[in-house]
Amino acid sequence: MSAILIEKISRHFGEVVAVDAIDLRVEDGEFVTLLGPSGCGKTTTLRMVAGLERNTGGRISIDGRVVSDAAENFFLAPERRGLGMVFQSYAIWPHMTVFDNVAYPLRIRRRSRAEIDERVAKALRLVEMEPYAQRPAPALSGGQQQRVAIARALVFEPSVLLLDEPLSNLDARLRAQMGDEFRALQKRLGLTTLYVTHDQAEAMALSDRVVVMQNGHILQTGSPQDVYLRPQSRAVAAFFGVPNILEAKVTACRAEGDGRFLLNVQGTGWAGVCHAAQAYEAGATIHVMIRSEHFALADARDVPKDIQLSGKVVETIFRGAHCSVTIDSPAGPLNVDLSSLAHIKVGDTIALRVEPGAAWAISR
Amino acid sequence: MRLGRYKPAPGPLLGVGVLLLILGFLAAYPLAMLLYGSLHSTPPGTPGEFNLVGYAKIFSAHDASVVFNTIALAFVKTVLALGLAVLLAWIVARTDTPWRGTLEVLITLPFFIPPIVTAMSWGMLGNPQVGLINQVWKAVTGSTSSPINVYSYAGIVWHMMQYSIPFLFLFIVDIFRAMDPSLEESSRMSGASKLRTFRSITLILMMPALTSSFILSFVRGIESFESALFFGTPVGITVITTEIYNAINQRQGPDYQYATALSFTILAFLFLLVLVQWRILRGRTFTTVTGKGYTPNVMRLGAWRWVTFGFCILFFFVTVVLPIGQLLIGSFFRYMGFYSADMLTLDHYQSVFKNSDFWRGFRNTMLLGFLGATATMVLGSIVAYVSARTTWRGRRLIDAIAWLPWMMPGMVLGVGFLWAFAILPHSIPIYGTIWALLLAYVALGTPVSVRVMNGAYAQLGYDLEECSRVHGGSWFQTFWRIIVALAWPSFAVGWILTFFGIMRELSASVLLYSVGSEVLSVVLLKLWTNGAAEQVSVIGLMMMILVVLFRAVQLRFLNRRIGMA
Repeated sequence: MSAILIEKISRHFGEVVAVDAIDLRVEDGEFVTLLGPSGCGKTTTLRMVAGLERNTGGRISIDGRVVSDAAENFFLAPERRGLGMVFQSYAIWPHMTVFDNVAYPLRIRRRSRAEIDERVAKALRLVEMEPYAQRPAPALSGGQQQRVAIARALVFEPSVLLLDEPLSNLDARLRAQMGDEFRALQKRLGLTTLYVTHDQAEAMALSDRVVVMQNGHILQTGSPQDVYLRPQSRAVAAFFGVPNILEAKVTACRAEGDGRFLLNVQGTGWAGVCHAAQAYEAGATIHVMIRSEHFALADARDVPKDIQLSGKVVETIFRGAHCSVTIDSPAGPLNVDLSSLAHIKVGDTIALRVEPGAAWAISR
Repeated sequence: MRLGRYKPAPGPLLGVGVLLLILGFLAAYPLAMLLYGSLHSTPPGTPGEFNLVGYAKIFSAHDASVVFNTIALAFVKTVLALGLAVLLAWIVARTDTPWRGTLEVLITLPFFIPPIVTAMSWGMLGNPQVGLINQVWKAVTGSTSSPINVYSYAGIVWHMMQYSIPFLFLFIVDIFRAMDPSLEESSRMSGASKLRTFRSITLILMMPALTSSFILSFVRGIESFESALFFGTPVGITVITTEIYNAINQRQGPDYQYATALSFTILAFLFLLVLVQWRILRGRTFTTVTGKGYTPNVMRLGAWRWVTFGFCILFFFVTVVLPIGQLLIGSFFRYMGFYSADMLTLDHYQSVFKNSDFWRGFRNTMLLGFLGATATMVLGSIVAYVSARTTWRGRRLIDAIAWLPWMMPGMVLGVGFLWAFAILPHSIPIYGTIWALLLAYVALGTPVSVRVMNGAYAQLGYDLEECSRVHGGSWFQTFWRIIVALAWPSFAVGWILTFFGIMRELSASVLLYSVGSEVLSVVLLKLWTNGAAEQVSVIGLMMMILVVLFRAVQLRFLNRRIGMA
């Protein structure tokens, strides 16, 4: 049974369509991230699951129970859906202590005092905030507020946890640390999690599955590897960094065991093999995506079936972790990330090879 | 993407309907009755015919001079008060003058003193024959002429200013503080001097706020009643509010139609002024106020800071110490003006405490203050919540009606309610009871209470409410535990402001009271008219003790709470 089942839900604001008939299934214990640029409908989708916004079409079920069905005009108020949620601003109530904030969902549910004390202590221990229980909430740092918000969302053991860009207000270092901590906690407790972010790196690092959204539609759903290495469309590819997309002609095509296909392709000044999600006829024109970090400097021992390209260095930018190089090649300009130890100057002519398995054919 | 919000709440239609009914009765109904009464030939509640006689009477040489007096006095007062308020605000917010925190409290204190109390006190201080200042002057210089006479145009302006300066100061000091200092710093970096920066950056950025403060203060000047009543009427200087009052209270046969027509006309004029203000301000609000707490640039004044300090203290001395000192002195001497040791007495305290009128007025004021402030704030909280936090149909209309009394002078609203109550069927006997006063106070206080609570809600993110809903709180639980719990400090501040407002209210009270429902300000006015200045001093002092008490509670307790939230 799916923890969250979303069937054809839509949200219209007058003429504006924020979410357009999307389907999504989140399994028990799964971490699913809605990823997209601002205005893509990801937050609206989350808020419809929470019950903070009404879906104008479609049906939402949580744990097999329908919570909202536009066709039946059925709509369960947010407080009756039994969810935990972490808000972008954390929404820590400033007139309460840390303890009172975390105890709120239990007090609303009229639990006994002993149970409240025990559960709040446990939740605070999970996020390592136990010593701060009696602090007034405004006296907390951003990271601490975030921990309290998570403790509050977990304290009554909800079946589903919703998170709306919870890390976006933290600085870069803390963001990575809190993300990793939360992922470890989520795995340990087996929490079903629906997470919204616009940060691709965050989505990759945390999720079991990523849902890429744009203009109220789902572009692609899949594992982080799928959406990053094997995007279905140019839009998905372009959402993660600045990929190189080269035009090529198919010369041969054969099926691989896993449902994918291996293509031999011929581009302008290069040739080689690439993988594809579908079969192409020989002679078809396709687009091949190669991520900038999958290039390496070529040497004589390279297997000739790897894609090889060469060109003149137009620009180099030292970024610390790597060196971004722009190369003018016969196939067009290439964005390449090379080792920051490489000695490359503008005007050099360099030869590059593409790592095996990196090239991917995009159909749209 | 947060284009729309789901805000489920119980019975929006019913709620809007009830609010419309209440606000309609408080604001729209007396307004309509003004128009009705201005066309009606006889006093409220008696049969008569409809004609334009009331309006015809307005077009006379006498009324032209009344209107001119009103506008000229209000204008002069506003210019002077604004200049002084900007100076004081600058000293407190932008210089290194010592003890600025204390100075700020002292400068704003006169705002909370009922104008009727300062008016009576200045009547004693600046009386050309027996006034204390003139006596001291004569004793020191040996001259026989009196330098100060408050019964004059200057006296009226001066009395209005005592209230206006702290009122404007409260606005302007915040504007000075909310300005991003980098705006000025970049002017200095571009090579402009301090003075040039102040002229071409600071002042210009403040212009929209100063303009609206100017208009607001001007409107308040036109609505002012006490100053002209005390210092104008005895020497034949009449303004619109005192003209309305005289037409109803001081003539052999009260001329209701004329008074009402005049009320309606001044209302129309004020309405135009408010429209002008909206026009001017639209599109001209430079957003220097970002809600961020800036540390403003502080100018080092060197030795001059003791001059600025002295100036602030002088202001406090003249507006607070002098009038209150006069009340103290006046309350202990047998006769006003005869200040020698053998005249010392406690008789006035005894006679005030034995005076049943005083106790009745005290009880009425306290009762109306507590009930009125509570009712006003509850109504304001609900109206502000509905208009700012829900998507109910009709919420804008509610907001607009609640705003109506903002431009009604107490005198005009009083006239409107006179008609409104008289027209009601006899089974609803509001007229002549203290409930008539209560309704008028609630109507007069509602615009401010809505403003205060709007500000409070605006600081609370929607997330705080939504978070409670998701974690199991119902609409009502959320409203109670989150919104009310977080907004109550503002509620309390608004409550005290409204309480002060009710305690100092005179112009509507003096029209709507009747025997048994006098409030303190009316009792004071009656005693003053009967020449019992000594007893007035005693009662004025009591009111001052209340003012200081409430103000101390507000400053000590509430500001800390708000600072925390």
